[in-house]
Amino acid sequence: MKTTNKLRVRILFLAMLAYSLFSFIPFLWSISTSVKPQSEVFEDSLIPKDLNFEAYVTVFTKIQPNFFVLFANSLFVATVVVIIQTSLAAISGYAFARLKFPGRDILFYIVLGTMMIPDQLRLVPIYQILVKFGLITDRPINYAGIFLIKAVSAASIFLMRQYFLTLPRELEDAARIDGCGPFRIFSRIMLPNAKPVIATVVILTFQGNWNDLFWPSIILQSPNHWTLPFGILQFKGQFSTDWPPIMALVVLSTLPVLFLYIFCQKYIINMQLSSSIKG
Amino acid sequence: MSTDVARPNATHLAAKRALKRKEAYIGWGFIAVPMALLLFFNFFVFIYAIYISTQDWGILGSKGGVGVENYARAFQDPIFLKAVRNSLLYAAIVVPLQTALGLFLALLVNAKVRGAKFFRATFYFPSIASSAAITTLFIFLMAPDGLFNRFLSLLGINVENLFNSGAWLSDSRTALYSIIGLNAWTTSGTMMLFYLANLQTIDGSFVEAASIDGASKRQIFWFITMPLLKPAHFFVITSGMIGAVQLYDQAILAGGADGSPDYSLMTMVLYIYNLSFRQLQFGYASAIGVLLFIIIFGVTLIQRQIFGSRAWSAED
Repeated sequence: MKTTNKLRVRILFLAMLAYSLFSFIPFLWSISTSVKPQSEVFEDSLIPKDLNFEAYVTVFTKIQPNFFVLFANSLFVATVVVIIQTSLAAISGYAFARLKFPGRDILFYIVLGTMMIPDQLRLVPIYQILVKFGLITDRPINYAGIFLIKAVSAASIFLMRQYFLTLPRELEDAARIDGCGPFRIFSRIMLPNAKPVIATVVILTFQGNWNDLFWPSIILQSPNHWTLPFGILQFKGQFSTDWPPIMALVVLSTLPVLFLYIFCQKYIINMQLSSSIKG
Repeated sequence: MSTDVARPNATHLAAKRALKRKEAYIGWGFIAVPMALLLFFNFFVFIYAIYISTQDWGILGSKGGVGVENYARAFQDPIFLKAVRNSLLYAAIVVPLQTALGLFLALLVNAKVRGAKFFRATFYFPSIASSAAITTLFIFLMAPDGLFNRFLSLLGINVENLFNSGAWLSDSRTALYSIIGLNAWTTSGTMMLFYLANLQTIDGSFVEAASIDGASKRQIFWFITMPLLKPAHFFVITSGMIGAVQLYDQAILAGGADGSPDYSLMTMVLYIYNLSFRQLQFGYASAIGVLLFIIIFGVTLIQRQIFGSRAWSAED
């Protein structure tokens, strides 16, 4: 009985190890390809015969716009969206959780209801509206379109509200007796106590926007404003089968989320877990 | 005497009412900006989309109303019908696959095995990379002389004798199925997390009681665990369906704006993009957007009917 159980655990362990490899090999393969010369791309070995960093030189200097521009654009877009979306979600999530005002519950259901409207239905009208606002242009102002669309996220508001609901009432009462106004209560008392949920919203929003292809591919007009995923889409067309630079771009664009994942793994998984219970 | 009591009471009430009104203003003030943006970019835009869909809308705006002509046209447009077929076929296969795989991975990780946390992290890993990066990598792996075909020949399968000579993504018979494989793999990590969340809420005493009563492992799984995972089933299947009928990134990366080869990767969303930005037929594109919304709405309603509405409530 005991030995069969032990055997079963061992088989389970090996199965999981095999699936982990299955999940990792493609990424190892992309790294390996990025340091191979073109002639060696379709050879079986994971370790190249001689290391060749030419692909990275191409990505850093030869493609237009080069990697650093794409990287900076992605970082800029993701950071600004994170700041706007997190602040608006925090303040409205707090109001929905803790303040009493007429229409609160109906408005909250409306917030949740917007999750049903697919982005693709919004595509045409939003594009037309942005054209009217003069935001579809090759000047830097075209980023404003992305920020406007992504300023508010129903999911982020939902996460914030659920968290604020769990904080004890005494926190606010004590501050109110001390004569704090509502905004001070929110910013001085509630926000510092909401660090875990803020971290979650920041990480998830950053990851989602760093990886987003849909809206940037529609809104950003000038190559100088492209983000990394859109850059990959463009260069894949341009380079077609010149795989080492394409793989170098894939590797470089995945590294930031990989680091984010390694350092915030506990946060990402735990918060995904706890937010999905409520979903 | 009575006035003495009543007076402070009245002022007290008035003060209370004033405080309540103040709280209401503050509440509205706190949500004003986010609500205005949300209403404008969702509800107003939704209604605007319906309006555009009834117009002959080109690059310069409306050239006049056409009633339901755009909708009538859609049902006679072979590319649109192909896109609907592709999107639905894709969803019908990828959702069961990613759900089953996600559940299986969750059960593995939930078992008391050494390194469960490590495996949880590695299983989720394919879900964090951008669709652009991972699809590009996938195209490379699936190339005729790529890693996948080399692996097949290692197993003794001669790729050149296969019906598509191993050109998985450039053969219209296999392109969509290849993308199904890719997305089942990448999405299952996220689905695993949803199942894991649900598994962790299951009270171990149910399972214990059942096994004391002599239930086999298989019986425990089908009659105890599976029913208790109902909230996760609902969430995973519904959000999986909604995501699946909106397939876009992988389709445009692998097949370009025409969903090549031979429209085999043309999806509803890709067609909306193609009509808007290649053909500048915004009215027609909007009509297809509305049809997509109706499909999504219908699918959600059907699933709600099957699973009951409890799982979707916002309260708990």
